[in-house]
Amino acid sequence: MTIFYFVAFLSIFFALMTIFTKNPVHSVLYLVITFATFTVHYILLNAQFLAAVNFIVYMGAIMVLFLFVLMLLNLNKESEPMKSNLVKIMGVIAGMCLIVTFLGAFRLLESNNAMVQGHENIGLVKNLGKVLFSDFLLPFEISSILLLTAMVGAVLLAKKETRVKQHG
Amino acid sequence: MGAIITLSLLGILILYLGLYKAKNALLPVSILGLLGALAYELYYWQSDAVPMYKGMVLFDHFALAFSMLCIVLTILILLLSKEYFKSISENIAEYYTLIIFSLTGALMVCAYHNFAMLFIGLEIMSVALYILVGIRRKDKASNEASLKYFLMGAFSTGFLLFGITLLYGATGTFDLAVLKEYIIANPTEVSPLFYGGILLLLVGLCFKVGVAPFHFWTPDVYDGAPILITTFMSTVVKIASFAGFLKLFSMVLIPLNEFWTPVLLTIVIITLFVGNITALMQTSFKRMMAYSSISHAGYMLFAILSIGANSASGILTYAIAYGLSSIVAFGSLMLVKRHIGSDQFESFNGLGKTNPGLAFAITVAMLSLAGIPLTAGFIGKFMMFTTVMNDYHTVLLLLAAINAAIGIYYYFRVIVHMYFMKGEGEEPVQLSINFKLVFGLAVLLTIIIGIYPDIIVSLI
Repeated sequence: MTIFYFVAFLSIFFALMTIFTKNPVHSVLYLVITFATFTVHYILLNAQFLAAVNFIVYMGAIMVLFLFVLMLLNLNKESEPMKSNLVKIMGVIAGMCLIVTFLGAFRLLESNNAMVQGHENIGLVKNLGKVLFSDFLLPFEISSILLLTAMVGAVLLAKKETRVKQHG
Repeated sequence: MGAIITLSLLGILILYLGLYKAKNALLPVSILGLLGALAYELYYWQSDAVPMYKGMVLFDHFALAFSMLCIVLTILILLLSKEYFKSISENIAEYYTLIIFSLTGALMVCAYHNFAMLFIGLEIMSVALYILVGIRRKDKASNEASLKYFLMGAFSTGFLLFGITLLYGATGTFDLAVLKEYIIANPTEVSPLFYGGILLLLVGLCFKVGVAPFHFWTPDVYDGAPILITTFMSTVVKIASFAGFLKLFSMVLIPLNEFWTPVLLTIVIITLFVGNITALMQTSFKRMMAYSSISHAGYMLFAILSIGANSASGILTYAIAYGLSSIVAFGSLMLVKRHIGSDQFESFNGLGKTNPGLAFAITVAMLSLAGIPLTAGFIGKFMMFTTVMNDYHTVLLLLAAINAAIGIYYYFRVIVHMYFMKGEGEEPVQLSINFKLVFGLAVLLTIIIGIYPDIIVSLI
């Protein structure tokens, strides 16, 4: 339990650092560390598959993409859009309301309920595969259309228009 | 299920047709495929509705009726597309494919019985649209609309997913039937997680159907997207999202209505006023239609607010009326814009003299959107108002009546421009045979449903 509290503290600390640093690159790097602490959480919860996916996809691929975009955009103080104080205050109020709602929702959570305790090995790859190819076979198959759509779209948006001259 | 499989294969087939440069075959093959899917839906109408594929999908009359409506509207929209896509770009086959994939997602949203299917359906529907909105790559407005829609869509999906997660945390299942059993088994001590989940789901779904205060993306996206895609978004996608919305609330969450009714009531009232008052101030026809689509979403929420036996048929009637009139309105805007080059109200000037047929079709569509008797729109509004009246929401009824009156004002402005203002040019707008067919069919159906509403009302 002490490990959990330590890692949870680190998650919150680095998440706050992500928001409060001025430099966008530092912000992204803090976000990477936040994701790393999430990976530790997943391992503590015995969810190996999620841990691996979080490590490879989120920390590895997506954050590198973030960094690339930041470098391409070349963000600095001058290009930052002006935010009025009113917007900031409204944002704080809305965010606080959201937190209150969540705290209200989480107030009766107990860690020893039957659903958590009954499925200790639910996060292992073997069980996940079994569920994916039996109960959730239809969504699993249909997500291929989602991927195809995204692929067609990406090619469509990125392809050069060969309108002026047809070079074959 | 046959329809979903047919459409998935149809999309891939059309990609191949595009590869082999069979440009003239694209539209006929798409229409044939869609008709095939429609036939499948009709075929399932008689069979018993049981959850299929381990409770993933349920094809009851509700799902089939909404699926058929989506397919028919897509056929009408594709008929209008013949000349349109060619003027934008070379890659026509891909656009047809994306529209068909988006429709596949819409059918899944209509027929889901498990949150996994709802999520994947919504995503397929939206991802295809993010791209379709941005197909005019040289146009800044189109690019902005695409990016805005993408960011907002991804954000709202986050809310939806979080809501689903909280419901899962409370019950341990994604299946609608099991969720329903859970609520019935513990009517008084539903986990607080569940309430948080309902709120987040509500936010996510309201984003998707575009009601205030989650409507900020709607006007810019509808305005920036190519008109044909706007038509698709404001009809098929909106109707499918409403079907999913209604299904969740009527099937699962209805015992908890004391919790969510006040929230939804506030949303409805804000939506009606924001949609109608801002629509009143527009000078562009396209933007006016975008804001009026927000207010129509508000009217459709009436059925969810006071869920009863008539909710499903009410929303179906409203959706049919709204879908048919929108297609006529946007289709005529497409013609007028090609002719005059602007989408302001002024471009409709003098249309009553040069193109009496087209002007008549637009008039019927506007009357139907405003909810004048003898059109389908009246029946839809009437059914919505009756459901609310049965629940004694008198204040809401009063506010809705005021809003309906505001609506009549801005819809009539279009009619005034067509008949009582002099246009510049004398030559009539050219209509191809496809447009004539679609407009004729839409006007005919609008009037038939307005006179004999029983054919739709008794359907579900």
